[in-house]
Amino acid sequence: MNLSLPPILVLLVFPGGLFLIASGLIYQWADRKLVARFQNRIGPRFIQPLADTLKLLAKEEITPVGVHKGLFFALPVIALAAALTAGLYVPLSGFRPAASFRGDLIIALYALSVLTLTMGLAGANTISRFSLVGATRTLTQLFSYEAPFLLSLLGPAIAAGTWQISEINTYAGQNLWLIIAQPIGFLVALIGLMGKLELPPFDAPEAETEIVAGAMTEYSGRGFALFRLGKDVELIIGLTLVSAFYLGGLGNPLEFVLKTLALLLVLALLQTAFARLRIDQTVGLWWRAGALLAVVQLIAIVLGRNLGTIF
Amino acid sequence: MVQQTLNSSWQNVLTKVTAWARINSPWAIHFNSGSCNGCDIQILATLTPRYDVERFGIKLQGSPRHADVLICTGPVTMQARDALLRTYEQMPEPKFVIAVGSCGLSGGVFHGCYNIVGGINELLPVDVFVPGCPPRPEGIIYGVAVLLEALKAGKRPEPIQWSGGGLDGVLHSGSGLEDHHG
Repeated sequence: MNLSLPPILVLLVFPGGLFLIASGLIYQWADRKLVARFQNRIGPRFIQPLADTLKLLAKEEITPVGVHKGLFFALPVIALAAALTAGLYVPLSGFRPAASFRGDLIIALYALSVLTLTMGLAGANTISRFSLVGATRTLTQLFSYEAPFLLSLLGPAIAAGTWQISEINTYAGQNLWLIIAQPIGFLVALIGLMGKLELPPFDAPEAETEIVAGAMTEYSGRGFALFRLGKDVELIIGLTLVSAFYLGGLGNPLEFVLKTLALLLVLALLQTAFARLRIDQTVGLWWRAGALLAVVQLIAIVLGRNLGTIF
Repeated sequence: MVQQTLNSSWQNVLTKVTAWARINSPWAIHFNSGSCNGCDIQILATLTPRYDVERFGIKLQGSPRHADVLICTGPVTMQARDALLRTYEQMPEPKFVIAVGSCGLSGGVFHGCYNIVGGINELLPVDVFVPGCPPRPEGIIYGVAVLLEALKAGKRPEPIQWSGGGLDGVLHSGSGLEDHHG
């Protein structure tokens, strides 16, 4: 589906800005509610993420001793901006991406990595030992999941013969669902998304039982709210990317809601089912199993394409 | 807090929105300043799926920087005094304190010991006292509800004055909860 809006609306209302933030909050609620139901709880109310965000925005912001002030205030803004930028390149709610060019898959993925990078920097900026450990773990995890996640998204890109997200989306919509054609790639992409979002089996970077709140320990008020919003936006963009590539493309808003929510259901189930991995276990899992599986999938795709042309 | 630069109707709306958000999202941090762990076990029980305080938006936070409500248990020992004050100072405004258990109210059975500063309110401005040894999880949730009701009315809860004179004074100054002495 196509939708033409004036650029200022595209940036501020739909699909950037307001829409992205609002849907991020809704998906955060859906995630928390699903986890609560899996744990036999009732779970938060629908307005909960909004109340959390507004409260944090209205709270006092403490600048801890020993931080670089400019970085301390700029990093949350950069984090949210990077996440919102990535939103312009993905087919949100089934419409064509607001901006699109050859190779925007790489841009979208690296805009999402900037969010993690700023969180690492924010942790390293303070002199709190918990923040420092959290920052180290955040960056270690970034280096472990990033390559397998990228490789797993390259599978559909190679199959479609393009690195443009909107074209891969169209390709996925016209062919057999790639979750059937490339099951290993889907598995790696799904687990990679959980690593990217630091969801429970991979939440060593913010392990509250060990290192208080990881890299975010010293942030209060506005900065923390912006980082949380960035995380929510990252959640919805990640879900959109994986469901557009592997679950048969996103052609209209209904398809978008159904497919991303189905994916979120699986994510919530995995979050509930597994306990936290140590950071060395996370790295080991990614480089021993994740990267290997993604490479096997890539080789299979390349072989399949070449053999197909020979015979 | 919001500065008085907007005109008053917008100011009112802003105040209402922030108050609403604050009431609906009280994040808590738990501090044990020398408790026997009875109250701490009850606080943990409050956070289990059986009572599910996430329904009200209550979340246990590890970092004092993220918390709105400081839930204290136990008498304040000389050793824990500085840590308690530092934890309180690290919390951003607006912040509230709930003292849980008889010891938090007055020192309880440790009242008058040589190594005890006293109850929590010797050090910090306590907003709500939850009596009991230990209080039941329902009691702790009720304590938070009392705090939130007071916020809804736009004020802090009335501080409870205790004029000293033994434990009896404490037991009668609670928030109307049935005391749960073993």
